[in-house]
Amino acid sequence: MLWKKTWRDIKENKGAYIACIIIIIIGLMVFSAFSMVIDNLKLSQKNFYSNQNFADGFIKVRSMPMSEVKKLQNIDGIKSIQGRLVKDARVLFPNRDENVYLRLVSLPSTQNSSLINGVDLLQGIPLNSKEMNVWVDNKFYDANKIEINQQIDVIAQGAKKSLRVVGYGRSPEFIYALRTSSDLFPNPETFGIAFLPYDVMKALFSYQEVANNVVFTLEPGASYKDVEELLKPKLKTYGLEAIYPRKDQVSHMLLSEELKGLEAAAQGMPILFLSIAGVILYIMLKRMVEQQRGQIGILKAFGYTEREVLGHYLSYALVLGVAGGLLGGLSGIALSYPFTSMYQLFFNMPGLNGQFSPRYLLLGLMLSIIFSLFAGYQGSKKILTLEPAEAMRPPAPPIGRKIWLEKVRFFWSILTAQGKMAVRNMARNKGRSAFIFVGIMFTFAILAFTWSMNDLIKVMLFDQYQKVETYDVKVTLSAPSNQKSAEGELYNFPGVKRVEPMAEVPATLKNKWLKKDVAILGIQEDSLLYNIMDKDYNKVAPPTNGLLLSERLARLLNAHVGTRLHLTDRLSQDEDNTELEVVGIIPQYLGVNAYMEIGALQESLGYKGFTTSYMISINPENISALQNKYRESAVIAGVDDLGKRLRQSQELMASFGSMIYIYALIGIIIGFAIIYNSSIITLSERSHELASMRVLGMTPREVLSVITFEQWFIGVLGMIGGIPLSKAFLVGISQSMSNDVYTMPTNLTSSSFVMAFLVTALSIWIAQQMAAQKIKRLNLADTLKARE
Amino acid sequence: MEPIMVGKNLSKEYQMGEVTVAALKDANFELYEGELLVILGPSGSGKSTLLNIIGGMDNASGGELFYQGVPLHQADAKQLTLYRRNDVGFVFQFYNLMPNLTAKENIHLAAQISKDPLPIDELLQKVGLADRADHFPSQLSGGEQQRIALARALAKNPTMLLCDEPTGALDSQTSVQVLKLLKESCRDFGKTAVIITHNTAIAEIADRVFYLKDGTIDRIERNSEPVSPEKVTW
Repeated sequence: MLWKKTWRDIKENKGAYIACIIIIIIGLMVFSAFSMVIDNLKLSQKNFYSNQNFADGFIKVRSMPMSEVKKLQNIDGIKSIQGRLVKDARVLFPNRDENVYLRLVSLPSTQNSSLINGVDLLQGIPLNSKEMNVWVDNKFYDANKIEINQQIDVIAQGAKKSLRVVGYGRSPEFIYALRTSSDLFPNPETFGIAFLPYDVMKALFSYQEVANNVVFTLEPGASYKDVEELLKPKLKTYGLEAIYPRKDQVSHMLLSEELKGLEAAAQGMPILFLSIAGVILYIMLKRMVEQQRGQIGILKAFGYTEREVLGHYLSYALVLGVAGGLLGGLSGIALSYPFTSMYQLFFNMPGLNGQFSPRYLLLGLMLSIIFSLFAGYQGSKKILTLEPAEAMRPPAPPIGRKIWLEKVRFFWSILTAQGKMAVRNMARNKGRSAFIFVGIMFTFAILAFTWSMNDLIKVMLFDQYQKVETYDVKVTLSAPSNQKSAEGELYNFPGVKRVEPMAEVPATLKNKWLKKDVAILGIQEDSLLYNIMDKDYNKVAPPTNGLLLSERLARLLNAHVGTRLHLTDRLSQDEDNTELEVVGIIPQYLGVNAYMEIGALQESLGYKGFTTSYMISINPENISALQNKYRESAVIAGVDDLGKRLRQSQELMASFGSMIYIYALIGIIIGFAIIYNSSIITLSERSHELASMRVLGMTPREVLSVITFEQWFIGVLGMIGGIPLSKAFLVGISQSMSNDVYTMPTNLTSSSFVMAFLVTALSIWIAQQMAAQKIKRLNLADTLKARE
Repeated sequence: MEPIMVGKNLSKEYQMGEVTVAALKDANFELYEGELLVILGPSGSGKSTLLNIIGGMDNASGGELFYQGVPLHQADAKQLTLYRRNDVGFVFQFYNLMPNLTAKENIHLAAQISKDPLPIDELLQKVGLADRADHFPSQLSGGEQQRIALARALAKNPTMLLCDEPTGALDSQTSVQVLKLLKESCRDFGKTAVIITHNTAIAEIADRVFYLKDGTIDRIERNSEPVSPEKVTW
C-alpha cells in the first residue's frame, strides 16, 4: 500500500523527479560508455602491442651499417634489435593534385616471430624480396580505394617508381598515424604507411647495407634509461638524430593521452553528476519528511516500525536510483557503439568493436543506488527521532531573525519587502542556498569551459594557419641545400609573389640537466610569410642575438629570458657546442620550437646558406601548376598547400562543434534541475506566505519575485564563482592534455562568458516559469484556512 | 444610500469526489459603505464560502455579484487580483503574517502595492504597537500578531475589510481589543467591515447581522443599537 503512496507522490511532483533522474542518467551514461570504450581501447592496445611485438625504444640515425646494428644486440638489457630504412615518398595518383605521401618502412627479408613492430596483415600475400611489392596500411587502402595488385607510383630519388600492392595491414607503430608534428589528426587519404622488403627499399633509394632507423625491445625488467646510456656512445659516429622510449613515440603517446583523458572523465563526471542528483534528492526528501510529519505520526501510531517508515521514504530514493541507474547504464552501452566507431576512425587497431557489457550496467546501477540511498537516508533519517505524538503536532513555526546584511544600510534600504523576505530566507536556509550557489557555479563553469575549449581549439588551429603561417605554399627540400639557387628558380615561377627561405635545424637544447630535442626554425628578420607573435598578437622579429622559445619549451627547460642554453646541432653531432641566450618567450600551440633569424642561425651553426624549405606567396590559380612541376623532382620532397590544410581543419572543427551543444544541453539540465527543485520546495514550504501575498492582491508574478529574487541573487553570485572554477577546469585540462604536438592555451574567452551567462540565465528562467505555473494554481482559500 | 456590493441568487457548488456539495444556495444581499456586518452561523453553514466570494478569492457557481456596479461574477483571475489589491483587506483567524518580515515590514509589504496607502507609522500607533515595529511575528503574542494583521489589511486603504474569525484564536480580553480596533477603523477610516464568526456574542456589535444556515442566508437583521465591544458578554 505504501508503494502506491510512493508512486502517487512521485507522479504529483514528476518534474522534480524527472530532472533528478536525468542528471543521474547523464552521469552514468558517461561512466558506462567511457568505461567500456576505455576497456576496449586498452585491451586492443595490449593485444596489438604484444602480438606484433611493439618496440620499447626508437632510434633515428643518419646511416648505420646493418652489421653494426646487429652488434648492438649484445648490449645488456636489449632483447632484440632491428635496423631498417624509413623514408617518406610522394605518391602519384592519376588526376589528383594534392600531395599524397607514403611513409615507406622496410621489413627484414627473413620474417620470423621475433620481428619487432610486425605488421598485422589483414589481406594479401607475403612480400617477395625480389619484386617491387608493398603492403599498405588498411586506412590508406580504404581511403584511396586501392585494390590488391594495383600499381601505385611513388617518387624515389627523383624518379617515378611503380610498386605493386599485394596486401594491406596495420602496425602498432602507426595506430595514430601523423605525417608531421603539426598535424593534429590522421588523414589517411593523404598520408599512409607502406611496408616493403628491405632489399626493395635499399634498391629504391640506392642505399648500401645500412639502416637509418633502429627499433629495439627490452629484456623484462631492463631499464630503458640504462640501455639508452649504453647505446648512445655507440650510435654517435653514425649520426644519431634521436633516441626515445615508447612513451615518447607519437602514436603511442597520443593514444595514451586519449586514454588518460577518458579515464579522468569516466571517474570525474559520474561523481559530479551523482553528487548533484544526491543533493537534490536529499533536499526533496528532507522537505517531504517535514511536510508529511502528520502522516508519519499516524503510521507510527498505527504501529508501523521506524524501519518500515524509513523504508517507505527510502523507496523514493530507490525508485530514482534504479530508474536512473538502469536508463543511464543502458544509454551508456548504446552510446558506446557510436563512440567506439568514432575511435575506429582515428585509431587503427584490431579488436576495436563495441560490445554489450553487463558489468558496467551493474556497476552503474550499484553506484546509482548507493548514492541515492545514501542521500535518501540523510534526508529522511529525522523520522527515526520523531515520536508519534510529536509528529502529529505541527512543527514549530519558522523564526524570523535579523541578518548581518541588514547592517549594510544602503543595500537594505533599496530592497522591497519581497527582497527583504528573500534575503532573510537565504540566510535561514544556508545549506540550500549553498547548494544552489554550488550548482549554478558548476552549471556556469561547465558551459564557460566548453565554450572556451571550442574557441581555444579554433585558436590553436587557425592562429597557426591564418596568423602565424601566412604563406600559400611551402616547398620542402629533400636535402638541405644552398639558399640562392632554388630561391631564384622559385621566384621566377608564374604567379609567385614572394619567396622566403626557412631553415629547420634539429637540435638538442640543454639548460643544466634539462634537455629537449627540438627543431630550431630560422626565419628572415623581415618575414611576411611566417609571423612570430606574442600573447597580444604583436609581431616579434626572429632575433639575431639569441633564441625565441615557445612557452612550453621554456617550461620544459625551465628557461627564462636571459637564460643561456647549450645547443647541440644534431646534423653534425659536433661536440663544439654553441651557447645561445633566450631573448624571448612566445605562445605556440602547435608543435614545440625555438626561433632565430635565419642568417644568424646559419652562422652560429656554421652552415652558410643552409635552407630546408621555402615559403611562397602565390596566386591560388598557380598552385597546382607548381605542384605538378615539382611532383617528380628529386630535390623537392613536397609542396604543401596551406589552404587545403586549413580547409581540412575547418571541416574537422565543424564536427567537433556539435559536441558543444551536447555540453550546453547538459549545463541547461543541471541548472534547470537545481532551480526547478528549489522553486518547488520553496513553494511547498512557504505556500502560506505566498498565498497570503496573493490574497493581499499581489499578482502571481509579484509573488514569484520573492523566490526569483533569491534565485537570481544566489545565481549571479554562483556565476561569478563559476569564473575561477572554469579557469581551473581549463588549466587542469590544458596541463593534462598538452604535449609536444599541441599546447592548449588557458585563456578563457569573453564570448564563452557571455554564452555561459546567457545559457545559465536561460535555464534559471525556464525553471522559474514552470514554478510560476504552480503559483497560479495555488488554492488560496484552502491554503490559508490551514493552521501553520 | 446606494449599496457598494450587491449579490443576486449567488450559489457555490463543490465537487467532492463523486458528490456535489452545495456550499451556498441562492444568496441575495447588499453591503453598504461604512457598515459593520457580522455573518453568523455554525460551521458548514457556508459563511467562509460567502466571504471568499465577496473577497474575490473564489468564483460563484451561479448568480451575480456587483461591486460598485462592476460584475465580479464575470471577472477573470487578473481582474480579481486587481480587485483584491485595491478594494479588499483580509484578516484571518491565524494571522498569516510573513514570518521573516518584521511587524513594520509586514505592513509595508501591503502598503507598497497600493495606489493610496495609509501611513504605516500612523497605523502602528493606531493598533498600539509602534514600539514593537521591529519585532518578528514569532516575537509577538497572538493578539499583537492579529493587530498587525489588521494594520496590514488597513494599510492598502481598501474599501472593505473582510475578517474570517478574527478572534477565533484569541482570549476574550484580546478579542475585545481587536474588535474595538475594527469598529474604530470602520468609523475613523470609513471602511465597510465584514466579520464572519460562529460566536453569537460578537453579533451584538454589528450594524447588521446575516444569519446563515445550511448554505442559505436564513435572515438578515439590523441592530437598532449596536453595543461597543467592551460591553459584549463573552
